[in-house]
Amino acid sequence: MAASSFTRCLVKSYFCVKCVAHAQTTTRMFCVSASRSSFVDAPKAQFTDTEVQDILTKITGLDLKKVFRPIRRQLTPPKYKLMTDTELEEAVRKAEEQAKHLLKTPPVLPERKPINDVLYEDQMLEGMDTAKYVFTDINFNVPHRERFIVVREPSGTLRKATWNERDRLIQVYFPKEGRKITPPPIFKEENLRVVFEQDRHEDVLNQCIVQFEPDSAEFNNVLMLTYEDIEKHGKYDLLRSTRFFGGLTWHLVNGRRIDGLLVDMLQRDLMQDAVRLVRLFNLVHPQSESAQQAQTQQATDLDLLKIYAQYESNRAGFIELAVQTYEQTKALSSF
Amino acid sequence: NVATRISRSYSSFLLKKYHGGHVVIRLALGGATNRPFYRIVAAYNKWARDRKYIEQLGSYDPLPNIHNEKLVAFNYERIKYWIACGAHTTKPVAKLLGLAGFFPLHPMTITGAERRQKAALTEEVQMDRQEQVE
Repeated sequence: MAASSFTRCLVKSYFCVKCVAHAQTTTRMFCVSASRSSFVDAPKAQFTDTEVQDILTKITGLDLKKVFRPIRRQLTPPKYKLMTDTELEEAVRKAEEQAKHLLKTPPVLPERKPINDVLYEDQMLEGMDTAKYVFTDINFNVPHRERFIVVREPSGTLRKATWNERDRLIQVYFPKEGRKITPPPIFKEENLRVVFEQDRHEDVLNQCIVQFEPDSAEFNNVLMLTYEDIEKHGKYDLLRSTRFFGGLTWHLVNGRRIDGLLVDMLQRDLMQDAVRLVRLFNLVHPQSESAQQAQTQQATDLDLLKIYAQYESNRAGFIELAVQTYEQTKALSSF
Repeated sequence: NVATRISRSYSSFLLKKYHGGHVVIRLALGGATNRPFYRIVAAYNKWARDRKYIEQLGSYDPLPNIHNEKLVAFNYERIKYWIACGAHTTKPVAKLLGLAGFFPLHPMTITGAERRQKAALTEEVQMDRQEQVE
């Protein structure tokens, strides 16, 4: 009798825990969760707002030669086609669509909270074994975020697996192409420094996206190190027509350090991009001086740049000079 | 004793009348010399342990890995289905499911743990006595 009631209460507790676990699991759709929070946190702009995404895609640019530059793959002899002008335009248009698809920014998510759930404590099982038992649910229809992965420690406690253990075990049973079980040594700080000296930021970021989940600590860490290095040396052009440019701009705008990027854009005569960057800054920091002044004066285009240079920037002189020269050249060319 | 007639042609399950046999969820041994690896498998109990099975429901690696973990995989949905169809589980599978929290704890797991604790205590006492003698 005692055994059956024990059974019943254990089974009940498992099912209760299962329901609780279902309610507490993180969301599957990254974009949906972020946009829900943006309605709560108005007026500060979030990463997934349509306006922000629009600005970021326009700033990233669409250099077809860079997006479709030759990557290492199986060597095949080149194909030559004879096309009319219309066909050529059609092919270019298709290439642009494909490039847009390749240039989708990876999601920027808040860091995931660590899992510390203990399901059951069993002191009578202490010393049953020297190793832990890790139990994974290999049902194919369950999304990876909701999969049950539990660990039975040698001390007898039954707990949920930590995020690192989860990622490793899901890679063991449902391997993803390109992902290794233990993260490769390129992501260590010393090795990253070597890679950055060789200007291979894009390769590192591509590997990082494949290896880590978007809301893990290591992913954010590697991204931050890359962005810091790029900003320190001013190598913005390395990421210009890649899908990481949006992430880079977002990071800089949130840190209020867009001066280097702005100067770089002005040096390359990308006036429109510079204006969009300042607009993004005003969207994300609506309480800043430049944003409030822009609001009162209803400024557009070059005036935005001037206001920003006046109030927020450290390199005010250079920005004003660049804006003046641009206006002069425009006036001269219009004659 | 029911005389079982096991036919050699495994063509169709529906036409056969399986006398006295039943489905079991058990460990099928695989791997290499000095390196066992078990697959958790639903099979008829009279079939050879490592040969034909109805469905694989998981795996169990008895040797711990670098992180001192013994990896066990279970397809809980299908295990529930087979138990609903009347499958029996063998002792090691029942123990593993108990440790996973899917079944209640197997009494022999608890007994084994208690025996180990007692053995560890007696060993400690003996070591203390030896040290005292020295």
